[in-house]
Amino acid sequence: MTVRPFGDRAFLIELEQRIDPSIIDAARAIADAWEQRGVGDAIPAYASVVLMFDPARTSWHDAAREATALAAAPPRAAAASAGRLIEIPTVYDGPDLAETAARSRLSPAELVALHSGQEYRAFFLGFMPGLAYSGTLDPRIDAPRLASPRPRVPAGSVGIANGQTVVYPFDSPGGWRLIGRTELALFDPTQDPAALIRAGDRLRFVPR
Amino acid sequence: MRITSAGLRALIQDRGRTGHAREGIPPSGPADPVAFAAALELARCARDDAAIEIVGLPFAFRCDDRRVVAATGRDVRVRTRGRVPGWTSVLARPGEEVVVEGSPLTRFAYVAVSGGIALPRVLGSRATYLPAALGPMPRPLAPGDELPLGASIAGIESAGRRIAPPAYAGVARAVAGPHDARFPDATVQAFFATAFLVLPESDRMGVRLAGPTLAPAAGELLSCGVVAGAVQIPGGGSPIVLLADHQTTGGYPLIATVIQADLGIVAQAGLGEYVRFERVTPDDVGRSH
Repeated sequence: MTVRPFGDRAFLIELEQRIDPSIIDAARAIADAWEQRGVGDAIPAYASVVLMFDPARTSWHDAAREATALAAAPPRAAAASAGRLIEIPTVYDGPDLAETAARSRLSPAELVALHSGQEYRAFFLGFMPGLAYSGTLDPRIDAPRLASPRPRVPAGSVGIANGQTVVYPFDSPGGWRLIGRTELALFDPTQDPAALIRAGDRLRFVPR
Repeated sequence: MRITSAGLRALIQDRGRTGHAREGIPPSGPADPVAFAAALELARCARDDAAIEIVGLPFAFRCDDRRVVAATGRDVRVRTRGRVPGWTSVLARPGEEVVVEGSPLTRFAYVAVSGGIALPRVLGSRATYLPAALGPMPRPLAPGDELPLGASIAGIESAGRRIAPPAYAGVARAVAGPHDARFPDATVQAFFATAFLVLPESDRMGVRLAGPTLAPAAGELLSCGVVAGAVQIPGGGSPIVLLADHQTTGGYPLIATVIQADLGIVAQAGLGEYVRFERVTPDDVGRSH
């Protein structure tokens, strides 16, 4: 595990650089431990954690020492079964469904059965408020991102790419392969937390 | 506080929305944190109070009662019954119109009023994030808007205080990395030796720069969390310096990170101007805090 300065008020801890649920859980456990110290936020991702600090609350030297100590003795990650189960009612009529099924030599119905036939883990949130990178996709329906991203993907779109699946909480540009859509509100600023899905939750897509 | 002229885009901002990065919520807050903090300080506001960030001056308003007001940013000034330079506290009489003016050099201007803008917090902050309509005023201000202000004591002794503005001279201090080791040494040296041109696609998410093509980093990078000031090098090689509305994670390698005190130098650089990065170490910066 390496600790690198990230500007003058953050550090980046890097774990083994590959996508693996156990590494993601380890990154989240480090982020939780940092936030318990109360000097700033942490952002876990696949294999890294950003540790931020407010210089009004701690010095760079103290924060550096704490970050290094955390990387040297990382906390134990929570059990993978701990998250809540969130069901996502999904209409499978996305514009990329037929082409993505065909490139995997499947019918659209077979792709839908494989996508909805398992649970996914929410790895971490990023890219936009409430968007959860989730996996792991069945290798039989895996596919790369679109060669050219769409300028506008509608909110609620369900996408797959690179071993993962996401739901877009807002209209946005995007390069995921769109296979369906949901009416479920993924982000509600009147709630706290505002994001429906939290890292560590389990997701199941339910065909409608 | 009644808005009489709203500029091109005026947004309520505070220091930013902390504690929600793990929901994918950008920090928001000011593009130029130094100018913002100075406006609060000059208007006798608290560190967590809200003020207004304006693009496209002039901006004008009146307050019902007597208030201390201040405008900061690059090349701004205030007109009331007389003319006052920016970065100076001004006593505004009840009902008197306060006009904030700039020049072609002005990008982000800040206006703070004593007592602070007393809208309710949303997710712990009054900062506006337009793409998700987040914040107590999730749209640009418009003429006729009325904003509640907190209680304040605006004495005559509060007027005429000054804070020296930073030199908006196009040199921003930056710490190498966190992904500098992934780039060839020559690329990192070239990055710190180059004056980059500011491109028109720049906004509150980031400042886009053009310069010599920088050789890309080696290998695949998994998306990681990012902070304001991080300098992304996308496949095309043109740097993007992330600002307040940046996404919370990104997949491009980060060659350097601008220190917080100099974010405004980059944010306030105008189209056709150049920005250069001066290499510092974080403990240098730590000693000056």
